[in-house]
Amino acid sequence: MAAITINLPLPVLPEGWSAEKDFKAISSLSPATQRNVEPVGPHFLAHARRKRHKRTFSEDER
Amino acid sequence: MSDEEESPGRVAIGISFGNSYSSIAFTTSEGKAEVIANEEGDRQIPTILSYVEGEEFQGTQAKAQLVRNSKNTVAYFRDFLGEDFKSVDPTPCHQSAHPKEHEGTVAFSIRDSEAESENTVTVSEITTRHLRRLKNSASDFLGKQVNAVVITVPTNFSDKQRAALKKAAEDAGLEVLQLIHEPVADVLAYDARPDAKHADKNVVVVDVGGTRSDVAVIASRGGMYTILATAHDYDVSGAQLDQVLIDYFAKEFLKKNKGVEDPRENPRSLAKLKLESEAVKKALSLGQSASFSVESLSGGIDFTATINRSRYELLASKHFQSLKRLVVHCVEKAELDVLDINEIICAGGNSHTPKLSRSLADEFPPTTTVFAPTLSPTAINPNELAARGAAIQASLVEAFDTDDIEQSTHPVVTSTPHLAHAIGVLSISGDEKGAGVFTLMIEPETPVPVRRTAHVAVPREGGDVLVKLCEGVREIKVTKPEAKPKTNGANEDEDDDDDDDDDDDDEEEIREKVWKAGRVLAEMAVRGTKKGSKVEVQVSVGAELDVQIIAREVNGKGGTRGMLDKPAIAQNGSV
Ligand SMILES: Nc1ncnc2c1ncn2[C@@H]1O[C@H](COP(=O)(O)OP(=O)(O)OP(=O)(O)O)[C@@H](O)[C@H]1O
Ligand SMILES: [Mg+2]
Repeated sequence: MAAITINLPLPVLPEGWSAEKDFKAISSLSPATQRNVEPVGPHFLAHARRKRHKRTFSEDER
Repeated sequence: MSDEEESPGRVAIGISFGNSYSSIAFTTSEGKAEVIANEEGDRQIPTILSYVEGEEFQGTQAKAQLVRNSKNTVAYFRDFLGEDFKSVDPTPCHQSAHPKEHEGTVAFSIRDSEAESENTVTVSEITTRHLRRLKNSASDFLGKQVNAVVITVPTNFSDKQRAALKKAAEDAGLEVLQLIHEPVADVLAYDARPDAKHADKNVVVVDVGGTRSDVAVIASRGGMYTILATAHDYDVSGAQLDQVLIDYFAKEFLKKNKGVEDPRENPRSLAKLKLESEAVKKALSLGQSASFSVESLSGGIDFTATINRSRYELLASKHFQSLKRLVVHCVEKAELDVLDINEIICAGGNSHTPKLSRSLADEFPPTTTVFAPTLSPTAINPNELAARGAAIQASLVEAFDTDDIEQSTHPVVTSTPHLAHAIGVLSISGDEKGAGVFTLMIEPETPVPVRRTAHVAVPREGGDVLVKLCEGVREIKVTKPEAKPKTNGANEDEDDDDDDDDDDDDEEEIREKVWKAGRVLAEMAVRGTKKGSKVEVQVSVGAELDVQIIAREVNGKGGTRGMLDKPAIAQNGSV
């Protein structure tokens, strides 16, 4: 999908903020809900191909 | 099996097989789905077979036989496929061949040969005959033998029903590439338009057919579809709308012809009344009034009358109300609010009814786009959606091996974790307070893996910025209207405005959808951004909910990247 544009600006980095390599991991995602994707449409076929061949998005793009 | 020569290859079409009507469609070499007219010129082919002295009629010709030859006319049978006799509702078949029990399945006793005696024909066999006729119509049109098909089925078709349909189609010489859900075919028909945008959206498909209404709430994410909730109703459908007109015209007839037998009491009169009422209903979708005309309706008396659209809408309004309730109920079942719905797709023949789609639209905010013929110039004919979607899917899978299709549609592939919450970044709101606001990047209910990229503005002077990634929680903000002093009589106390919550609806409360930041996932710095530049934030969620984040100035070098571990796994179950 194309990049989305967000016009509201990011905040200024607070004074004194620091982290190793400028990245602070705080929490993992919440647990997901298991659901069935409908096996229909061109995008599902790409999803199925990735899943069956255990490929990532970028590998798939090659 | 043919020996050395090349296999002739598949010629695949899409079929929408309803209880009331069926349609066939194919995909042109330019990739456009088109619905095929049969030999009689019909694109909506009544799902009816009728036998006269051993000759088989289908579609419109068979439907006409409901008046004189109802016993040898089989109609409204699709939902009986793969079912026990005990569990089917025979009501729709009151005026045609009655279903009966036969060796654990459903069958009809009809005179389908030249012999005087009746034969027992199972619903599977009837389906095979019907599908064979559809196949032949498509083959005639395309000039080559059709041998493969994608067929649409309701979302509540059981595995047994699916298996029975597959078998019946195969017996008609059709390889079933796939059975797909009707509402998903409808969405696909819209998404396949060349100008369609694949934005993430929540779609409600409302399908008002001849014998049933079906609603589905579908999360559409980057062109992938997940059904979040469904609802079915057999008491709101075309038959009930027809009944409104049947009753109206019968009463008008009796007013003018006192003492004559009620046409609803006589099978043949009722059949005529019914056919003409359906035609009037269709005419009222286009015109402001329509005329009804039946020769020898009852007691040998011809009857003509007219009805205008507003009268019909008034008489049918309770059905439009029930349909609205069904749709809202389904949205609630999906744990969504009407404000979460971006699109409504009106499907099924009755969606041509202007009042029906308009009354649905009224239930949703103006931000919801309603696709129906009378509301949107770009709407696709609701009668054709399912067949077109099936034809598109057929063109997508026809080149695959049967094994490949089967594996891809297996739960191992389709069962997928979906995000419980939205993911987004904190921005600074435009107002004076400059408070942090959650800005959405990935919608909840998005299947993983998923990757989304956003270009976010930087503060006026650029410089070092903070990218704070969070989960988002959707809230419905309700603003009560200002309590107005009562206009009539004495100005009552204003402090009683707490107890008139569920008061009348002349002052409607304002409901808005707002996102609030929930769990904070990560913070990262992007340093030295230029004035007026943008920061590109890329979030990739892996199949096990591990997250990779990259943030850098657009067109800049380097940037910051980091990872989040997948959530801890519950103790039971192996990894
Ligand atoms: N132009 C129209 N205006 C109003 N109603 C219409 C119009 N065209 C078709 N219909 C109605 O639509 C219904 C048929 O819808 P559809 O073709 O979607 O049926 P179906 O899927 O076979 O129905 P089901 O399986 O529920 O019996 C009938 O009630 C028919 O009268
Ligand atoms: Mg239908």
